[in-house]
Amino acid sequence: MEEKGVYLAIQTPRQVRKKPMYKNGMYRETDKMSDLICENYPMVLVMSRFGIALGFGEKNIGEVCRQNEVDACTFLTVVNFLVEEVNMPVENISKCLSIENLIRYLHNAHDYFLNFRLPHIRRKLVDAISDCPKDVAFVITKFFDEYAEEVNKHMSYEERAVFPYVRNLLEGKKDPKYNITIFRKRHDQIEMKITELKNILIKYYPGAGTNMLNSVLFDIFATEEDLASHTRVEDYLFVPAILALEKQL
Amino acid sequence: MSINLKIAIAEPSVIIRSGLENLLKRLPGFRIQMVEIHSVESLFDSLRMHKPDVLIVNPALPGYFSLQHLKEESGCAEMKCIALLYAVSDSMLLRSYDEQINIYDSPDEIKHKLERLNAEELPGDEPVGDDEQQSLSVREKEIVVCVVKGMTNREIAERLFLSAHTVITHRRNIARKLQIHSASGLTIYAIVNKLVELSDIKSA
Repeated sequence: MEEKGVYLAIQTPRQVRKKPMYKNGMYRETDKMSDLICENYPMVLVMSRFGIALGFGEKNIGEVCRQNEVDACTFLTVVNFLVEEVNMPVENISKCLSIENLIRYLHNAHDYFLNFRLPHIRRKLVDAISDCPKDVAFVITKFFDEYAEEVNKHMSYEERAVFPYVRNLLEGKKDPKYNITIFRKRHDQIEMKITELKNILIKYYPGAGTNMLNSVLFDIFATEEDLASHTRVEDYLFVPAILALEKQL
Repeated sequence: MSINLKIAIAEPSVIIRSGLENLLKRLPGFRIQMVEIHSVESLFDSLRMHKPDVLIVNPALPGYFSLQHLKEESGCAEMKCIALLYAVSDSMLLRSYDEQINIYDSPDEIKHKLERLNAEELPGDEPVGDDEQQSLSVREKEIVVCVVKGMTNREIAERLFLSAHTVITHRRNIARKLQIHSASGLTIYAIVNKLVELSDIKSA
């Protein structure tokens, strides 16, 4: 069991039963960046999606943000939103939130899922199931590819339609044919299908269990969780912020 | 088999709300997706958007709402409503609720209440014995094969001499038993369990 714990901490950035493991409470600019990361290790992903690298020494969150030209208020809004596991639309979006920064964060998250996370899981998955019957390996890989394509479509829509719309909005240009409510209504949960893959592997995988397959399974658990929280940031933080912006104009 | 539920909690106190949420998340045998609502103002919008299976609501939530009106307005006619009670309450007030949870209930009591509500939710479906829940009937397996081959519900109905309605009911039961909802997921199930050959699918 101990070994497994260590393994998890190294390999997977997010994990399902995480509540008891992390410290709760609102983080502030004066808190140390290293404390934040050590207490809530999934925040390492948030940090890197804001464009902040490791190796920040003893500096506090505000200092690290300024040094990396990241808006500290936006960073902390996202961090506290995720740490507190907020499950409803944020009502009073703080005025200091930089939508530009938030879009960059979301864009980098998309980039991470599409160009790193999913291809990485695919490589490991193909490797892990190479011993099972050819036809099974074929349909599992096919399932994964279809799923990756779905995620791609989902995120491309945001990149193509939603972000440009919001960038125009920031410049004061309103699109008469589009508003964020259209996005809110069509925005679906993209983690459902990867949950299905996880269920299938757990219940029906016919080959021998291997460390490699377990490792893929942990990656899938982590990705499922990561995608769910990404969707929450979009639905409960991004959308309300844009709604407020639309009202102003 | 774990039960999938989307539960909305409408409760003004964040302590009670997150406490209940925490407790629900840890209930064994459930996979619960949570929606938090803290005021009457966001109640309608939130229900309309999330369409939860169950609404746990504090009847003393400030502001007026009636359950009947709420279900109609939000398009959640099937939603079960549970009253969340801090203290003894007028039974007239609670008449329209399907169930009650008291804040002193044990996790076990809450679990039984949810299970009971969930059991009521699936009337008309063929009765499923507990030990039999996971395995598909012969008919269901036939339908899986058809779905995997890319047939539409209508084509399946014609092939198996069933009504389209029956096919849909079967598909719902299959999804519930296997927790697989997509055709490509069923394909993996069918291949693993040797219900079809890869060549059957590729030619389809």
